[in-house]
Amino acid sequence: MEERPSLIAPVATAIVVVAAWWFLVPLLGINPRYLPSLSTVVADGLSIRSDLVAGFWRTFVETALGFLVGSLIGFAVGVVFAYIPILERAFLPILVAAQTIPVIAFGAIVVIWFGNTILAKVVIAFYLSFFPVTVATIRGLETVDRDRENLMRSFGASGRQIFLKLALPTALPLIMVGLKIGVSFSLAGAIVGEFFGDTVGLGVLLIQALYFEQVPRIWVLIVACAILGTIPYALLVLVERRWVWWRAE
Amino acid sequence: MPAEGLLALRNVWKRFHSGGTETVALHDVDFVIEPGQFVTLIGPSGCGKSTLFNIIAGLEEPDGDGSVLFQGQPQRHRDLLGKVSFMPQKDLLFPWRTVLDNAALALEIEGMPRKAARQKAAALFPEFGLQGFEKHYPRQLSGGMRQRVALMRTFLFERELLLLDEPFGALDALTRSMMQRWLLEIWARHRRTVLFITHDIDEAIFLGDRVIVMSARPGTVRCDERVDLPRPRSGEVMLTPQFLDVKRRLLAIVEEESRKTFSASA
Repeated sequence: MEERPSLIAPVATAIVVVAAWWFLVPLLGINPRYLPSLSTVVADGLSIRSDLVAGFWRTFVETALGFLVGSLIGFAVGVVFAYIPILERAFLPILVAAQTIPVIAFGAIVVIWFGNTILAKVVIAFYLSFFPVTVATIRGLETVDRDRENLMRSFGASGRQIFLKLALPTALPLIMVGLKIGVSFSLAGAIVGEFFGDTVGLGVLLIQALYFEQVPRIWVLIVACAILGTIPYALLVLVERRWVWWRAE
Repeated sequence: MPAEGLLALRNVWKRFHSGGTETVALHDVDFVIEPGQFVTLIGPSGCGKSTLFNIIAGLEEPDGDGSVLFQGQPQRHRDLLGKVSFMPQKDLLFPWRTVLDNAALALEIEGMPRKAARQKAAALFPEFGLQGFEKHYPRQLSGGMRQRVALMRTFLFERELLLLDEPFGALDALTRSMMQRWLLEIWARHRRTVLFITHDIDEAIFLGDRVIVMSARPGTVRCDERVDLPRPRSGEVMLTPQFLDVKRRLLAIVEEESRKTFSASA
């Protein structure tokens, strides 16, 4: 809360990496097939900037929608499981088993169900992001201290008050961990969803670049995906620093 | 029905069953606390103090053969929840709440609007020696201060009976004796009924109008001794012959009971 980690170290590292990529890679004569220099990559990115911006936005929307729905439902399912153990015992193993299905196999079915729509991508992003949030919510609510709960009850607190004033704040640090995992998974889900066919999106550009072996293009898209993944993650970290700064005990 | 004081325990038993064996935690516990009294309760560890504490707080139910009466009314399971100001051994402050909001917790639960609850709690800060710390978080406070915040939270839950379970048990000796004197001052001003659980004989005699000594398990009331030391009491009182006399008698009983616990577990 009070100690604000300095940004100097990470920014300095980023500058060093960018500089090395820009100058060192051509200087060392590295085969561009393995790693093109950053200048080549930037030039390629600029040449397709309108497609890139449209694709970035589209994938961002899919990721955000999938993550929002996934985290809301994941949280709700987690709460229900935490308070009704019989449901957890009945359904959690099925969810775990479902999560082990490779997303590629699952994605094919989703595209057959929903067609090549944005909805199909959102559903895949949702599917990948809700599970970590569910598990984090269950584990977070399990850490609620019995003594504190008894204290609340002795003050005459209702179940609702115990949930809002004690259980939820206790669980929030772990739920934040689940959300950070969920948002990364959501991006992966959206990109994989786009592999099954669409016209706009970073995943679409990526699969095209793969077919035509446009190596600099692939690197453009890797950087774009990294930026797209970092933004929501950074937002969550800010939320955490500002509102969920206490640690689980 | 005759006057039953503020709290009356009548033939209270508590037996726990696990795997076919029965453990008797409390065995025919019987005592009455009069309104305004400061009663301390001591006993060897494992004598069922916490079980008794939970029963009086309404968190556990005694077995069917006894009864707990509060203001003359028999109490069933959970009836006592919300009727007794309860302070457990650990401070149990909420790390995400400021000191002020921790103190106001019980008021909020009672339905007081947050602003009014904060105002009411803030008024007590000088008396509890916490002025200027309203906006701090619990982890920024020392153990003694945290304990005072917890006590303030309990105090603000204005009930006739205050139930304190070794509130100073985790403090160093010096802080502890300061807190004891300070608690007596607060009590003199607010005059609530107090049941104070401790395992420190000096503390029990110094604070109490009455000291109840529990026996080794199964816990029952081994003796119930009036302490007629004049009030207000200062630290000096611990050196008077009268104090030492009471201490000598209680010490003999507590030691005898502790030995039983020790040989039973050895």
